[in-house]
Amino acid sequence: MFTLHRWWNRYRFQTLLVGVALGSAVLIRQTNGALLFEVYHLVAGVFRPNPVQENLLSNAQLQELQLRLTELEQQNQRLRDLVGFQSQSKQEGLLASIIGRSADHWWQQVTLGRGSNDGVQIGSVVTAPGGLVGRITHVTPTTSRVLLLSDPTSRVGVLLSRSRSMGYIRGQASNRAVLEFFEKGPDVRKGDVVVSSALSQLFPAGLPVGRVESVNLNKSPAPEAIIELSAPISSLEWVVIQPPRLSVQPEENSDQPQDAGQKAEPQL
Amino acid sequence: MKADSLDSALQDRPLARFWVNWAVTFGSVLLCLLISLLRLPGMELAGIGPNWLLIWVVAWSVKRTMWQGALVGVILGLLQDAMTAPSPTHAWSLALVGILTARLRKERYIQEDFISIALITFGMAVVSETVMAIQYSFQGNRSLVEIWNYHQLIALSSAILSSLWAPIVYFPLNLWWKRMNELEQQS
Repeated sequence: MFTLHRWWNRYRFQTLLVGVALGSAVLIRQTNGALLFEVYHLVAGVFRPNPVQENLLSNAQLQELQLRLTELEQQNQRLRDLVGFQSQSKQEGLLASIIGRSADHWWQQVTLGRGSNDGVQIGSVVTAPGGLVGRITHVTPTTSRVLLLSDPTSRVGVLLSRSRSMGYIRGQASNRAVLEFFEKGPDVRKGDVVVSSALSQLFPAGLPVGRVESVNLNKSPAPEAIIELSAPISSLEWVVIQPPRLSVQPEENSDQPQDAGQKAEPQL
Repeated sequence: MKADSLDSALQDRPLARFWVNWAVTFGSVLLCLLISLLRLPGMELAGIGPNWLLIWVVAWSVKRTMWQGALVGVILGLLQDAMTAPSPTHAWSLALVGILTARLRKERYIQEDFISIALITFGMAVVSETVMAIQYSFQGNRSLVEIWNYHQLIALSSAILSSLWAPIVYFPLNLWWKRMNELEQQS
């Protein structure tokens, strides 16, 4: 008893400190590091350029292409109106800068400088010039964390826009992903464009994902293709957070053959 | 001169010394946490940066006991979990790094600091990534081939970069702790 008392008198302060340190580490972990990301946002803000000054669309050719795209979209909308298709008015996304990358090497994540104060929600889809980038997994008041398509846990239901062959992609770090087909003999060629499919529950259909780089039809259990993601993920600086209405698209139809969207739930 | 005045200011006030010491320690951890989100040019190899928290754990454990190393490894591992995702946890890998670094008892055999710290960090980076890879293997949601191919890439790049950047964290911190220790003994 005496030794215990002496020990306590001697190490009381250290013990309390260790307790506090352990406790706060657990607390920070339970809150997914919200505090740390807020501090990071505050510190990084000093070095960040003003978003207004950044003119993303300075390229004249890009503007021309966009004008043509708007024109085509409107034509498309008018044709849809003609056939009585439910109208989907276009909503502007939220431009966000990438302020940080992933804090370890196993996860492919980025941190954005927009958070719940700007209306960002968990599950919002993130795109960039080039195509789909990922999905928001954590939100703090001024920052949000995106799980990239290139992360091995992120899975998206996709189809080839030429042959409509379906499958799902699994990230492979950097800017590659593996496409696993659902059928045995898919019609696939090098260079085919891959877009997100309507079966995905987490991502809206028809967003460009990438291009087929190589094909391995003999792979067991399912044929595979390597996809080069079209968004330059490793050199991105700006992304667009899509409005939540577009982001979440629950499929009511339960007798779908195989729902890749279910697989797309990252195991966090 | 400035260091001297700080010394004399802290020498007679054990409580102030204590808090300043902890503030510096805590501040350096925070700095390492925030830097790990950055990829500065020249600081990355194939998209992989140095593992700053690992460097900090090595710097802490080199002249401390096994338990202190393990404890700090667990705390920093939990913090890194908070920054990425809780499963698999980084606490195991960093705790092991803390234990092993403390068990090396470097100061008993080698006086020299610069290269030995870099070498220890190199080895520990490989150890910590291997522990992570083993955890992923047991989790079973990725194929083993993928995990271990990727492990090769990141273990090597992270080990090279971490060992090169290790002295930047180690030297100031070590100097600080040494001075605080001296003051402790004087008073």
